[in-house]
Amino acid sequence: MLRSYTARISLLSLVLISVVFFGCSVVRITLNTPLTPEDVTFIVPGQTTLLEVVDRLGSPDSINNSTSGIVSIYRFLDMKYARVNFGYLARPWSPVDPDLIFSRTGFGTDAFQVFYDSNGVVVQHSFLRHVTEHPFHPYPF
Amino acid sequence: MHFVHAVLVFAVTAMLTQGCAFSRGTLGDDIKTEAVSSIKKGVTTKTEVLALLGAPDRVLPLNGRDVYQYYRYDAKAGSLLLIIVNFSRLSVKGDDLFVMLNQNGIVEEVISSKRTENLEFRFWPFGE
Repeated sequence: MLRSYTARISLLSLVLISVVFFGCSVVRITLNTPLTPEDVTFIVPGQTTLLEVVDRLGSPDSINNSTSGIVSIYRFLDMKYARVNFGYLARPWSPVDPDLIFSRTGFGTDAFQVFYDSNGVVVQHSFLRHVTEHPFHPYPF
Repeated sequence: MHFVHAVLVFAVTAMLTQGCAFSRGTLGDDIKTEAVSSIKKGVTTKTEVLALLGAPDRVLPLNGRDVYQYYRYDAKAGSLLLIIVNFSRLSVKGDDLFVMLNQNGIVEEVISSKRTENLEFRFWPFGE
């Protein structure tokens, strides 16, 4: 009896797992190393220099003029995409290949900007956007 | 005997990597570390920089100075195609080199880093 119950539970679990993952795709694209506020706590305006920032974060993606001196920009992206095709469930019984697709993409684009004075000392720094953790979930509504 | 082992290893490897995909793309030329390290601040001239590294990808005017930017991008993608569920991950990293030249055409500052050295093929899209 116990063995039968365990077997049924195992079979049910297998079916549920298969249903959940049927036609499922998970994609992630990362550009450069995403920076977090914790990664840049070492930067102290008025003290930290351009070379110290480069030493810790690497070279920036671009350097431009600013009214105070120069600005260096670190760009990064952490894109997440999830897709489920529920049409797979009907394929064994359907004469055609039906699709019922739910998908969702989170473009985690962000940039970290550091402004320096003419002597190469940090004046201010900030993130362009505040990227939060985007979970992998395909529900688009 | 060695041949049989080799065939066996190949067969097992092929079986274990079924449904895997590896892709790679690069943009730009490799920025040679030796060339970058030979640039000396206050000594190396614009002409020497061009001879060492070639023409820059971008020239930026920066408060009366010229900044030469060289870049290279490397992308590695790994996919696990398991019929009912697929996992893919694409990682892109870039090497950037900035050479700042003063108004006399002498190197004032060199900013460089190689991010592509640690770039790996990854398949698992979750976590870090």
